[in-house]
Amino acid sequence: MSALGPENGTLTVRTGKAGAAAKAGHNLVIEVTRWQGKLSPESVELTADARSLRVRSGSGGISPLGDEEKAGISQTIDEEVLEGGNISYRSSAVTARDGGYDVEGELDLLGVSAPLAFSLDVDGDHLTGSASVKQTDWRIKPYSALFGTLKVADVVEVSIDATLPRSPSDG
Amino acid sequence: MVELDHSFTTGKPADYNWDAVLDLDRIIPCVEGGKVIELESPDLAKAEIKVKMGAMSMTFKGTVAVIERDEVAKRAVLRIKSKDTGGTGYANADVAFTLADGGGTIHTAATISGKAASMGEGVVSSVLDALINDFTGKLANI
Repeated sequence: MSALGPENGTLTVRTGKAGAAAKAGHNLVIEVTRWQGKLSPESVELTADARSLRVRSGSGGISPLGDEEKAGISQTIDEEVLEGGNISYRSSAVTARDGGYDVEGELDLLGVSAPLAFSLDVDGDHLTGSASVKQTDWRIKPYSALFGTLKVADVVEVSIDATLPRSPSDG
Repeated sequence: MVELDHSFTTGKPADYNWDAVLDLDRIIPCVEGGKVIELESPDLAKAEIKVKMGAMSMTFKGTVAVIERDEVAKRAVLRIKSKDTGGTGYANADVAFTLADGGGTIHTAATISGKAASMGEGVVSSVLDALINDFTGKLANI
């Protein structure tokens, strides 16, 4: 069993934009700064603190994102989107394959549970993987502004990049 | 130039609608993010509008002036001239109201430059259309 968290990995959410005024918005890279995972060949578990998302960068838009705007978006995510709700994933099946695992399971997002499958790639002690989360499948209305003409795209990409800790048997 | 047409309903008599639309202190706050800074006369107000785009926002400051008023035809035109406080752009518009019992129509002719315009006329038109739709919803309760 490998324990994962911010000390040995990064958990990142990438959002896109939609709507008639999509050009006005930014594609965001958001880091989850408090999370923990457990990984074994039989199971994958992950919990994340909904209040720990921090905007790291943004691209596109009609002007660059400054530190104040990044902090403002992080606050909006906290207060208007996730509201400190539960975020947890538990696998129901892990299938080993060459170079990694295919994982199936349930993501509980703000009290709504729905299936989520993704692949994890392992190269030596380097673990990577990403999952597409369609917000409306978890009854989350994508955040919108400018009278609904600028929206966060429904599908967000959640990715993990971690260094697997050495197990005691590695000596 | 972006030109848009909208209609609105108030369920009120034409005279009431006329008085409401020409009361700058009442009508300017009906625009989301809009507020009167100073009413210089019944026909001229210094005003600003803050347009929020998520965490980003653009603030335009300028004047709203009544440049035409035909009480018999119940037609009035408000001229908005404003500058982007965070850049060199501007947003100007002539907004023509034609009022009747129960509501009225709005014809907007807007010219926008700077960062907002850099999104393209189609985007500006979509956002302006959504802003005016929101405005007409508020006029229903004016």
